[in-house]
Amino acid sequence: MGNKKELPLGVYHFLEGYQVKKDDIIAYAETDMNLEGNFARGYIVLTRKKLIIMVAEPDRNEVYQFKGYGSLQELKQHKERAWAAQFHSLEELQRLELFRTVSGGVLYSTSKKDSPGSVPDVQLAAMTNLRLGEALRITRLFELLKEKGQVTEEDLKEEEQEEYCPKCGSMYPDKDRKICPRCMDRRSVFIRSLSYFAPFKYKIALMMVCYIITAGLNLVWPYFSGTILYDKILAKDEHFLKLLGIPGMEFVTALGLIVITMLLTKITMQAIGILQGVMTATIVPVVVKEMKTQVFRSMGKLSISFYNKRQTGSLMTRVLSDAEHVTGFFIDGLPYLFINLLTLIATAVVMFLMNWGLALLTLFFVPVIFTISFRLIPRLWQFYGRRHRAERAMNSRLNDNLTGARVVKAFGQQESEIKRFDKNNSRVRSAEMSLVNFDNKFYALYVTFERIANVVIWGLGSYLILTGTNMEFGVLMTFVGYAQQLNGPLDFISWLFRWFTDSMNSAQRIFEIIDAVPELTEKPNPIPLENIRGEIELKNVTFGYEPNKPILKNINLKIEAGKMLGIVGRSGAGKSTLVNLISRLYDPQEGEIYLDGINIKDLAFRDLRKNVAMVSQETYIFMGTVAENIAYANAQASREDIIHAAVLASAHDFICRMPDGYDTVIGSSGRELSGGERQRISIARAILANPKILILDEATASVDTETEKAIQASINFLIKDRTTISIAHRLSTLRDADRLVVIDNGEVTEEGTHAELLEKKGTYYKLKELQTKALALKGIE
Amino acid sequence: MSEEIKNPDSGKGIADEGEFDLKKMEEETQEMLRLRYITKDNAVFERTEGGFVSLKIEGETYPRVQVYQSFPFTDPDAYISIREADEKAREIGMIKNLKKDVSRETRQILEEQLRLRYFTPKIEKIINIKDEYGFAYFDVLTDHGACRFTIQMGGGSVVHLTDTRLMITDLDGNRFEIVDVTRLSTQELRKLDLFL
Repeated sequence: MGNKKELPLGVYHFLEGYQVKKDDIIAYAETDMNLEGNFARGYIVLTRKKLIIMVAEPDRNEVYQFKGYGSLQELKQHKERAWAAQFHSLEELQRLELFRTVSGGVLYSTSKKDSPGSVPDVQLAAMTNLRLGEALRITRLFELLKEKGQVTEEDLKEEEQEEYCPKCGSMYPDKDRKICPRCMDRRSVFIRSLSYFAPFKYKIALMMVCYIITAGLNLVWPYFSGTILYDKILAKDEHFLKLLGIPGMEFVTALGLIVITMLLTKITMQAIGILQGVMTATIVPVVVKEMKTQVFRSMGKLSISFYNKRQTGSLMTRVLSDAEHVTGFFIDGLPYLFINLLTLIATAVVMFLMNWGLALLTLFFVPVIFTISFRLIPRLWQFYGRRHRAERAMNSRLNDNLTGARVVKAFGQQESEIKRFDKNNSRVRSAEMSLVNFDNKFYALYVTFERIANVVIWGLGSYLILTGTNMEFGVLMTFVGYAQQLNGPLDFISWLFRWFTDSMNSAQRIFEIIDAVPELTEKPNPIPLENIRGEIELKNVTFGYEPNKPILKNINLKIEAGKMLGIVGRSGAGKSTLVNLISRLYDPQEGEIYLDGINIKDLAFRDLRKNVAMVSQETYIFMGTVAENIAYANAQASREDIIHAAVLASAHDFICRMPDGYDTVIGSSGRELSGGERQRISIARAILANPKILILDEATASVDTETEKAIQASINFLIKDRTTISIAHRLSTLRDADRLVVIDNGEVTEEGTHAELLEKKGTYYKLKELQTKALALKGIE
Repeated sequence: MSEEIKNPDSGKGIADEGEFDLKKMEEETQEMLRLRYITKDNAVFERTEGGFVSLKIEGETYPRVQVYQSFPFTDPDAYISIREADEKAREIGMIKNLKKDVSRETRQILEEQLRLRYFTPKIEKIINIKDEYGFAYFDVLTDHGACRFTIQMGGGSVVHLTDTRLMITDLDGNRFEIVDVTRLSTQELRKLDLFL
């Protein structure tokens, strides 16, 4: 984009052939389609005199890279191409426009705004969404060039460049979140997850000690039950008693001793097991809670657009189940990995000491299955990912359905909804089944190897005893005991691979949210805001929810402190968007918004939101009593304040009529409220918040005329000394506005007082007449 | 004609009469509710020099019109909506069936426009899909050449139009389609597994 990045040499050479010098070029944009609707490389070059459109022949061997895929290295490579070019002199072109296709745009020349139809529209170049921004920039620069005859450095200032990872040079898929997915490896996910356990390091150390003791006891157990029992005591080995320091003792007593020792060992192991259980129980819930809180907190910080991009059900899955998946592995898995590995190694060492040949034969398969397991991890990763997605889809479907329960019932669609749910449910089932199937294969692999090893020991051991070469029966029994002892850890490790994958899979999703950087950020040292006057000014504000699709175009507005501004316009004109910008739910792409002359980006969110309250068409009633709902923005409000606010919002009457009055529980599980009642509660909430700036976005849309009159009266009271912005379809709502603006297609088309606008006989007049006359005609008003 | 339609708000007629023309308003409303069907009998489409399409219909002339599909996925030939070129894109009329109701030549002209507007490469071969930290990287071969693009995971970037048909939307909103997943090889399906 732009000038910093140089055009490829071949393009310069080509242009020089047409007497276009490098210095003449003001700006250029890359394009990636031709007008026939194929991928093709091209350029739009703007010079002081000309607009040059270059297109290469579509090349089937070319690779087209889209956002997130490019890398710095690849940017520098350019091929020689055969160009076809059109040269348009700037005089002959009147205006450049982009018309949007479903996933791209077409640049065309057209006539000036004030003389439509004077020249025919001509298609110039086509591009995908990837290049749309660059092309838009050219149209803007072109306009400036036509208007002023030149463009300044300021105009040419680079728009935000794509960012590249410094390590591997590939493009960040998300500019705002400078994390390179390629360089972020799973080990760091693991270490980060581990850090959640840091506060419990002493407890965990104690657990480790327990594990070591258990491992030690596990190790001696076969020795007691094998070698000592058979070869020493049952074989009546005097030498052994001497070793114990109790020569001449009865072997029966020795047997008793050994039994007691074995018993004690078992009891100790059990006790330690209980201790570990207690420890686990104290750590896990805390860590799970901590993770959930952190995810929830991060979500709260994120901007509205984050929520718009994701399904609610999917986010719920992350908060609820992922945290548990992560900790599950760390508590039930990792520590036992330690103990099992310890047992495994110690057992192996003992086996080698006893009979290295037999040990080698028994143990050689262990590295083999470990290698296989490692190789299977990516596959497992996929299975877990798939299960997660299936669950998420099901949650979303469920969420969707429950929210829309009324509509489902009203249209009698329960059956089809069940079918749809069943489809999602089956997906979860099949994902789960394939996971289990894979698990079983995994397990089967381990068990097969274990069994083979056992058979080898029995067979070979017996053979060695038969041939009488340095093998005693007890030693064989001990050896078998050890080999069986291997089974536990190995089975466990086979599980562990799965656990690990599952846990890391979830951890990655959790960190994805925790790491997400909100699109709107607070300045590090925000300007404190005290006793504001409430003057709002919008300067050249352009905004669209998707880049390159502006909803608001170059809006300039000034609302004086304490005045009321009415906004009129058809649905979809951008009215609500405008007020969303003022309360900074989004930031404008271009232009600035000022509150009392201070850019709202320099204010703390707290200060801004404390001073701006919105009553919108979407009413949010949370679970709680009526009083709590009204006092949402001001929890310290006294009962009197709450009642006062409710009276002003004409809500007092209906609240009192409810059996539980202000203590009535409303919200999802509580009493149902009508649309108008909900709206009145939101108004009361705004009144109690006592903001300096009040935004009413269709605040009275769902109440009857009588109630509206009452609310209107309370609003009239409310807007005193406040800056008010009111959006309404019903013009009667706006009759007290000091000034009105009409927004159409994202632009302010009319502006003035009620009388001035009627004078203009424009859209406002039309709307006004339509509402009064049409209603009068039918004898309604 | 364009004067009248484009600026109905500042219409001089209204101001002169000094009174609001409710009748006209109602007519406009009626107009909005009317569905006009375009056939070869009442309309002439022509390719313009600038690469667009013009339309003459029942005495009205439109130097440039836009062509939209009503059912781009399920029935691309049915109910083609012909709209005015400006941003409001008011509907002029509908073609019920592109295959039957207009001449072959007209159909060709309109299809050119549709081709540009609904440009969507169809994925024929999946070379690789990599899933990394919330994004999936696709390396595919399409009917328009090799493409590499990135999608966000978990945000509805992959939509199942039917059980076997997928629409994939990349970070910028560019679209790629898999017409029939059953036509992919086992290896390719395994790579795509994440999204099935």
